[in-house]
Amino acid sequence: MSSTLADLAPLAQTEIRDRSGDADCVAENGTFCFGWAADNFDRYVEPTLEHLVLVGVSVIAGFLIAFGLALLSHRRRWLIPPFITATGILYTVPSIAFFILLLPFTGRGTVTGIIALTAYALQIIYRNMVTGLNNVPVEAKDAGRGMGMTDSQLFWRVELPLSVPEIVAGLRIATVSTVAIASLAFLAGAGGLGTEIFNQIDFKTNVLIAGGLCVVMAIALDFALLLLQRLAAPWRTGRVST
Amino acid sequence: MIATSLGPGEGGIARSRIAEVEAAAQPPASVSYRDVTKRYAGQSEPAIRHLSLDVPAGEICVLVGPSGCGKTTAMRMANRTVEITEGDILIGETSVRDRDPAELRREMGYVIQQIGLFPHRTVADNIATVPRLIGWDRDRITARVRELLDLIGLDPSMGGRYPSQLSGGQQQRVGVARALAADPPVMLMDEPFGAIDPIARERLQNEFLRLQAEIHKTVLFVTHDIDEAIKMGDRIAILKQGGVLAQYATPAELLMAPADAFVEDFVGADRALKRLALMRVRDIDLWEAPLAFVGQDTAEVRAKLDGAEVPHALVIDSDRRPLGWLSETDLAQPTVPQRPDSGPEPILDLDDVMRDALSDLLQTETQYAPATDRDGRIAGVLSVEIISEFLVSPEAKVEEHAAAERPLADE
Repeated sequence: MSSTLADLAPLAQTEIRDRSGDADCVAENGTFCFGWAADNFDRYVEPTLEHLVLVGVSVIAGFLIAFGLALLSHRRRWLIPPFITATGILYTVPSIAFFILLLPFTGRGTVTGIIALTAYALQIIYRNMVTGLNNVPVEAKDAGRGMGMTDSQLFWRVELPLSVPEIVAGLRIATVSTVAIASLAFLAGAGGLGTEIFNQIDFKTNVLIAGGLCVVMAIALDFALLLLQRLAAPWRTGRVST
Repeated sequence: MIATSLGPGEGGIARSRIAEVEAAAQPPASVSYRDVTKRYAGQSEPAIRHLSLDVPAGEICVLVGPSGCGKTTAMRMANRTVEITEGDILIGETSVRDRDPAELRREMGYVIQQIGLFPHRTVADNIATVPRLIGWDRDRITARVRELLDLIGLDPSMGGRYPSQLSGGQQQRVGVARALAADPPVMLMDEPFGAIDPIARERLQNEFLRLQAEIHKTVLFVTHDIDEAIKMGDRIAILKQGGVLAQYATPAELLMAPADAFVEDFVGADRALKRLALMRVRDIDLWEAPLAFVGQDTAEVRAKLDGAEVPHALVIDSDRRPLGWLSETDLAQPTVPQRPDSGPEPILDLDDVMRDALSDLLQTETQYAPATDRDGRIAGVLSVEIISEFLVSPEAKVEEHAAAERPLADE
């Protein structure tokens, strides 16, 4: 474990603050130095893109794995409790511990970050899939089966489309929390906005910009998924939706 | 609404309907239960015991009974949404056990109490469910959907709505249309009008009966409501606790001759009155009143009154339409007047339901009422006495074989 701690050491303050522009404000470490922000904003572009990739890849991977699990457990309902427990255990491991535990196996880098983030997203997405499929009205299933749909026709034509609102709701929660957790992914050497935050954690302007970008990203992705939810469930328009 | 939309001369719709019927019409199939028993896993008592019944093609068989009698289970075994434990069910000549369940179900219309429309699909898509499953082409489906919307009295523009945008009654109609979409020879209906308010239910029942008169499906219809059973059923199967068939008979037989105390109790104490709801004026032996023509010598009329079934003379016009009853004052005049003292009201139609006819008699406080045929010509006279006689001794008046099962002394 000592070697992994040593791996973390290089993350300590490596950059010297650029004092150009808003020198006074930066010297006093004011609440938000606009001049400095304007001059240095481009340094956040790369980490933001890294962050976005971490979140996007992790949520999509989590979705695909959760969907596979949901397919498996849909007609074999006894599989649901073990799947919930297994994904729940992954979810409860503290994120910092998770990144560090993975280092001996996958080394430092984006892959390690994505594996850990995917494991977190998995539980939320899978749970919502199960809830969504469970909430499909019994009478719709009864009618579908009674009219001669096979199990797979019933799944693809009735159960899955009717679960879309809950599934997307799960994706929204998973996405927002992944944006937050991804800011720790720098511990696994995966970059992202966390790198910037921790590089100059005592410089308020920096923390506000990097942290603010996380918030904006979370809100934007959430809104995009909300739109997707509306588009994928047109029958809900005009009704009270949760 | 349905009656008019079925009428000829509606241009494209009528023509496409005929074309469709020719292409898709499947003759109704008989359904027979052969000693069917259902035992659910983990339950010691069977839900259905040795059920045998034959439903002739094109008839509505109502399965009725108290909750827990297994009526829904009995119905569901026909399309194998519940599997048969012992025995067999034949659709036409074929055992349902020899069929692939999904294919079997596509040939049986399925309507449930909760309707079960797919909330994420439009009305048109809901109706198209089975045609899509069996692979009809798009044009044929579009035409069929339009035709069915017309049949259930919904505007074609409603096809684009989602079920949540319809009223309960409209949803139920769409449920029926969806079940009829591929023109199945058999329909299964599980309390189809159970969740609908009484007024709308009455209307939907009438609509369905009118529809059935056109399409002649073999229908298994489940309800817990004996009045609905009597109204809808060509035959009624009454089940009692434990899935035992208590009686299988026509509504009239059931009301006249309940097989046992359970059936008698289930049918209710007012079964005599219920029977009136099943009959029309033409079904009963009417009396003949002495007829008088305007201008006829009253002496001739007085002669006819001696020993007549109806002790009053009815004046009719040259088309044999009733004009009124002659009073003593009228008869004291030399000839029959154009306008007798008492009018002919109420005038009943031979097609009137007996219950309504009795109600008319009681409401106008008259003893006798002329009954006329479709052209308004006198066909006979109904009296309160005839009705009460019928209620006291049904065996004398209606259907013979049921009467034999239940001797007069029992009444």
